[in-house]
Amino acid sequence: MGRLNPVVKRLVLDVLKPHEPPIYELAAKLASLHGIDSVHVTLAEIDQSTESVKVAIDGSDIEIDRVKHCVEGLGAVVHSVDEVSVAKRTSLK
Amino acid sequence: MWGYIEKLRGYLRVSGVSSASRRYFVMNFFDGAMTMLGITVGAFATGSVHPRTIIGAGLGASLAMGISGFSGTYMAERAERLRRYKKLRKAMLADLKRSMHSKAFRIASLWAAFVDGVSPALAAAVSMIPFALALVGVIRVEHALVFSILLIMAMIFGLGAFLGKISRENIFLSGFKMILVGVVTALICLLLAAI
Repeated sequence: MGRLNPVVKRLVLDVLKPHEPPIYELAAKLASLHGIDSVHVTLAEIDQSTESVKVAIDGSDIEIDRVKHCVEGLGAVVHSVDEVSVAKRTSLK
Repeated sequence: MWGYIEKLRGYLRVSGVSSASRRYFVMNFFDGAMTMLGITVGAFATGSVHPRTIIGAGLGASLAMGISGFSGTYMAERAERLRRYKKLRKAMLADLKRSMHSKAFRIASLWAAFVDGVSPALAAAVSMIPFALALVGVIRVEHALVFSILLIMAMIFGLGAFLGKISRENIFLSGFKMILVGVVTALICLLLAAI
């Protein structure tokens, strides 16, 4: 009999970040995580000290805690999870 | 090893300390070179060109400049960067303790202080090489004097050329402008000694 484990395939986050490091560095660091295939970052708003960006992550098995840890390591903060796609994964006992 | 260097470069990039470090390097390298020029020309003008004395005076001066440069810059940079870090924390409404910014401001302060402390010592050390050679008898004292002054002028020219490259101006013109300052300094030292 198989066991059902949900796996996150897509995640869209609303992130607040300082100007440094730039968004391409944020994207590259996220893309280097295990289970992530691609990262798309869009600048939404900008002010004197911070930027609001939309981070869209696609992958085969996205680990949300690792993504949050990576984002916070770069001095950014996850404001909200705007979109998530989860699929069933079967694993044999 | 390469990983640590990349990490350090990341912290320096995030903190924006590179341009400040360049300024500290130029100002303090120039300070060190001019201090040695003053010591060398002053010794010549007073007729007491003893390699041991010049090396002793040079070492003392570069140690003093290095320690004062390091400690002063560290305190000033740390205060300024801590202020900016707190301002960023307020803007982000977050702690930032686990972020690279909390490490970056400390590392940037240390880096700027290191550059400030080492650069005059480096200029002074290079200027003293001919006198060190004279001390062990490789060259004569009179030649050491000339070589030292030529070395100082070459370093000053190099510094000017570096500044010219940064500002995208004529590097030879920038170099000669700096040499002019060195020549005026030497002439003033000679004039004062003559009085």
